[in-house]
Amino acid sequence: MLRLWSLQHRLSPLQCRTIRTTAAARAAAAATKEAPVDSQWTANSVRTGLIARKRGMTAMWDDHGARYPVTVLQLENCQVTANVKTVRDDGSEYHAVQVAASDRPEKTTTKPMLGHFKKAGVPPKRVVKEFPVTPDAHVPVGTTLSAIHFVPGQYVDVIANSIGKGYQGVMKRWNFKGLRASHGVSVSHRSAGATGAHQDPGRVWPGKKMAGRMGGKRITTQNLAVVRVDSALDLVFVRGCVPGIDDAQVMVRDAKKKVTDAAQHNYAKGLFEKILPKGLDSLPFPAGTKELAKTLPPIIAAPTLRRSPFLPRE
Amino acid sequence: MSLSLLRRFARSMSTAAPSYPFSKLAVIPPAPATPPPAPLLKGKGLMAHLSDTLPSPDKLKLLKTYFSKRHPLRILPGSVLSVTMGHAPTQFTGVLLSVRRRGIDTSILLRNVVNRLGVEMQVFVASPHVKDIKILQRAGGGTGQGKVGKRMRRAKLFYLRDSPEKMSAISAGLRG
Repeated sequence: MLRLWSLQHRLSPLQCRTIRTTAAARAAAAATKEAPVDSQWTANSVRTGLIARKRGMTAMWDDHGARYPVTVLQLENCQVTANVKTVRDDGSEYHAVQVAASDRPEKTTTKPMLGHFKKAGVPPKRVVKEFPVTPDAHVPVGTTLSAIHFVPGQYVDVIANSIGKGYQGVMKRWNFKGLRASHGVSVSHRSAGATGAHQDPGRVWPGKKMAGRMGGKRITTQNLAVVRVDSALDLVFVRGCVPGIDDAQVMVRDAKKKVTDAAQHNYAKGLFEKILPKGLDSLPFPAGTKELAKTLPPIIAAPTLRRSPFLPRE
Repeated sequence: MSLSLLRRFARSMSTAAPSYPFSKLAVIPPAPATPPPAPLLKGKGLMAHLSDTLPSPDKLKLLKTYFSKRHPLRILPGSVLSVTMGHAPTQFTGVLLSVRRRGIDTSILLRNVVNRLGVEMQVFVASPHVKDIKILQRAGGGTGQGKVGKRMRRAKLFYLRDSPEKMSAISAGLRG
């Protein structure tokens, strides 16, 4: 099986974003060249994510006829606005790609942001987010990212603000059982009940689960399979649910557990067949751009790899 | 090997359609002929567009005629349908209790009494297992007299779960 990433010269471990460098390694890092223009994905690279809008949900059927729910995410002129490199006090480096999406009118954009977008050469945007990457995964500023960035069959993490539920009681917010419906319970059927012990400790522990505002927080849904990619409409179909309302801005990145970490661990162990999820040969690197999308088919779907659930197991 | 070299190599291998170098097992469905209109790229009318493009043509015909909201040939609740499926039970006949319209996710609820046991089945119309849907008796839209069955005054006939006599009335109309 052709391993596109293994043919590339292997990057040294000090280019991994989590390792703090020593003085000697810092000197070595200064000596190494920058990543080549036409770079390849490696098992130790972490590439950028995208910003999309959650458009809604629908259902699809796989080759065996099993139904599964899908969420439709659409990229709305998602462009790279900056490549961030910060050197910490101890000498280690933080690298990130700043991505912006959803054009907004100039008259509603603040002057500082207008200047920032003008420097990047992109129209003003509504949302600007940053994705930590390895140093080889920087993308030229101004590049328009495409849905082709994700490969059908891979897993992604989707991050968005969950739907706000307002001030909610303890039964909805923390799944408390409440009290009995009858048998003498007075006026406290849905209450929390006791909130602590007695004189020891004589107070309520901080963090006690109580009623309060629920929802409207940043939530990450991990390991959602990408089932279909449409580069003409810039759609990414992911299997399962995604936090937030329809048309909410979501961040989509390669799954930390099933793609990024699995690749690093399996490469270190030498299990080259398990580096990427089944069926995948490589990932667009440093990013899937609109130019790359023009050379590839417009619609790509994931294969059905599982056995048929309608046939009994032997 | 650089990505551009690989692209050239891949293109030389393929005959007609461009190949996909990132996954050999990926399925490449046929691309639509016309490029999408501009409002779709902003998300306006996107889900409706997907409802029209994702199902296969025969399923889309089913959804747009029999299970649409206003088509003259639409199946009204109270009709008796017989569905042939690829998985068990291969054939199920029942009274249509409700049509849940969600585009490609449209489903129907059929109720029957089998061996003195009430059985309901939810059938997803766009499922590849659904081979055929036969209409045994249509519920009347206007007067509900003559050949067609009685007109139901509800969109969802869940009350039939509690009244076996009304269920028998519908089946009697079917036999007669």
